[in-house]
Amino acid sequence: MSETTLVTQQVINGLSLGGMYALLALGFTLVYGIIELINFAHFNVFMIGSFIGMWVLQAFGLSGQSVLLTGLPLIGALLAALVVSMFGSGVLGVAIEKYTLRPLRGATGSAGGTIGMITTIGVSYILFNVILLGFGADTKNFPNPLPTIRFHVEGANLDLRVILIWVVSIVLMVGLWLFVQKSRLGKAMRAVAQDAEAARMMGVDVDRAIIMAFFWGSALAGAAGLIFGLYYNFTSFLIGYTAGLRAFTAAVLGGIGNIPGAMLGGLIIGLIESLGGQFIAVKWTDVIIFAILVFVLVLKPTGLLGTMAPSKS
Amino acid sequence: MLTRRNAGKLIAGAAASTTLLGAGFGSARAAGEKEIKIGINLPLTGADAEGANRIKYGALLAIQQANDSNAIPGYKLVPWVLNDATSTAGQYDPAQAATNARKLVADPAVLAAIGPEMSGSGKAMAPILSEAGLATITPSSTNPDITNPKFASEFDPSGKAIYFRTVTTDAFQGPAMANFYADVLKVGSVYVLDDSGAYGVGIADTFSARAKEKGIKVLGRDRLDPLQADYTVGLTKIKALNADSLYYGGVMGAGAKLVKQAYGILPQKMPKAGGDGLLAPEMLTSVGFPAAEGWYCTIASPHLTEDPQVQPFVKLYESTWHTQPDDYAITSYDAGLVIVNAIGDLIKAGKPVTRANVRDAIQASHTKTLQGEVAFDQYGDVVNRTVSVFQVVKNPNYPLTDIIHQFKYIGSAPTS
Repeated sequence: MSETTLVTQQVINGLSLGGMYALLALGFTLVYGIIELINFAHFNVFMIGSFIGMWVLQAFGLSGQSVLLTGLPLIGALLAALVVSMFGSGVLGVAIEKYTLRPLRGATGSAGGTIGMITTIGVSYILFNVILLGFGADTKNFPNPLPTIRFHVEGANLDLRVILIWVVSIVLMVGLWLFVQKSRLGKAMRAVAQDAEAARMMGVDVDRAIIMAFFWGSALAGAAGLIFGLYYNFTSFLIGYTAGLRAFTAAVLGGIGNIPGAMLGGLIIGLIESLGGQFIAVKWTDVIIFAILVFVLVLKPTGLLGTMAPSKS
Repeated sequence: MLTRRNAGKLIAGAAASTTLLGAGFGSARAAGEKEIKIGINLPLTGADAEGANRIKYGALLAIQQANDSNAIPGYKLVPWVLNDATSTAGQYDPAQAATNARKLVADPAVLAAIGPEMSGSGKAMAPILSEAGLATITPSSTNPDITNPKFASEFDPSGKAIYFRTVTTDAFQGPAMANFYADVLKVGSVYVLDDSGAYGVGIADTFSARAKEKGIKVLGRDRLDPLQADYTVGLTKIKALNADSLYYGGVMGAGAKLVKQAYGILPQKMPKAGGDGLLAPEMLTSVGFPAAEGWYCTIASPHLTEDPQVQPFVKLYESTWHTQPDDYAITSYDAGLVIVNAIGDLIKAGKPVTRANVRDAIQASHTKTLQGEVAFDQYGDVVNRTVSVFQVVKNPNYPLTDIIHQFKYIGSAPTS
């Protein structure tokens, strides 16, 4: 394997990781942008999204690596899994907001700050343990309905499922960006992000905007969960931790609260992971990622694309 | 020896004691019988749960048989099962193992223990058990440091062996695979990975050292984080190095993901191997075919489940627990037999049944077990040092999760 092939292969690996991190990072950034809350429950909403995806594929009679579908049934099964895991995760996110965070928001005026954050850590542990106790701790064999089709770029392997990750990630990210920039609800969300009180006085339904942020953030986590399962062919109750932490780092690196920043941060973290693993050593991955994070934040505390948030009084 | 006739009795006994366990330990017992608790510490949830439960069943079977046949007159053995896996670790957790060791030590009725399965847990438990003089017999943990006199101040401060094994250690298991690579498969180079656990790092070290001695070029060494999902980066690197072979020291936590991802990246024909950490039911359930096909693994004991003399035990185990035993379920049963035999020796000699005496009796014991006679050296290691080599080879005549028939026995590894 030549040097060019090797680097190309690692870039492909890194961009696949990065796509997943970016989808996850968007959820952190969307919620933070609106209510200045770091939602740690997001880690395990992602994990549950991957379980939902697995169950849907199993409902189509797929299990392990045995049954391969082609053509329309394949597309149908994948679309169903995507829609159901996005919707299920989205509803879970909304429920978390409604039942654990909104009561706090009522009391203090904002669910941000330490109280909200600690609540989301607690919710995260509940979700984690519900799956652990309900479905066991073993690594689940995720159904793989995709045929192994490979393309070659510079001698490196490019799997069909990698292309799938990229297409789904890009479509969802662009869709989200358009939704936030162009739609009425998106404008309401941005208004709430700038100044919730003023937005309320202008007739914006603040609760609705917040619910939308939780729904779409969590739905993207659900999509990332399904993609994770298809890419690695496994899922387990543990997957939220490392992926969630990396994605959170990506959101901070890109500038938390900033949507293109989250995408950029995700891709950068993915590439650092793969190229750092190649040229230094896999065991140093976390050290490298967090060292770069600290370095960027020292030079630019708002992250790469972040701007100073207007102080909310 | 078990026969078909007494097997029936045992099943009835097993069913009865299962109900007894369900109702809480020691609720119904003949008057005048004294109770001896046997601690059993294993990672019963988490990435290695299936294997751990098979080990537990082996130990429980030995204890039940002893009670049913009244092997220790005047005493009743009561198993006390503890779990050392935690949800945050996702697998065995040394901190939890230490907590469990303190629990065992604190109960004066506990006179001996079986376990732990994992060396990482063993390292955490050994010093606590040593201070209390409580003997444990591990059916599967193979890290040599725990019983190595060089590290006695760390793992055995009291100076008397308390960590006995019915399997040999990685001082032999890692090198055995290196011998097999060099002499049988004739590989020229190898890349070595471990899972950052005590067992994984240790067996990868002993493998690498022997591989170098045998003239195999070790192209590199890296470490996997069991919490991480993606190993494609490290595997791509290994592929680019054109290594002849791969060796992985570690358990299924990282192993399941490694084997799965290696399938798409490394050549199918490239020899890939691990230790007893990979000879686990999860290799067939969490990984499965085709990814697992071709992987070599070893166990630190003779191969027993297909031994014709052991078949009555296999049948009994299957009918009692509705699952298959693996070799470490048998070494666990053997550990139970050793404890029963040692306590029996004490009573025959008319000595008081105390922790210290039970330890001494285990140290001195020569027990007829399913793997032959088990005796220990002064550090607690088993005298028999056989390492068996297996390969995952799809056998369509049996279910694909059949742990006896989907791991093909290759033979015992070359010893030098």
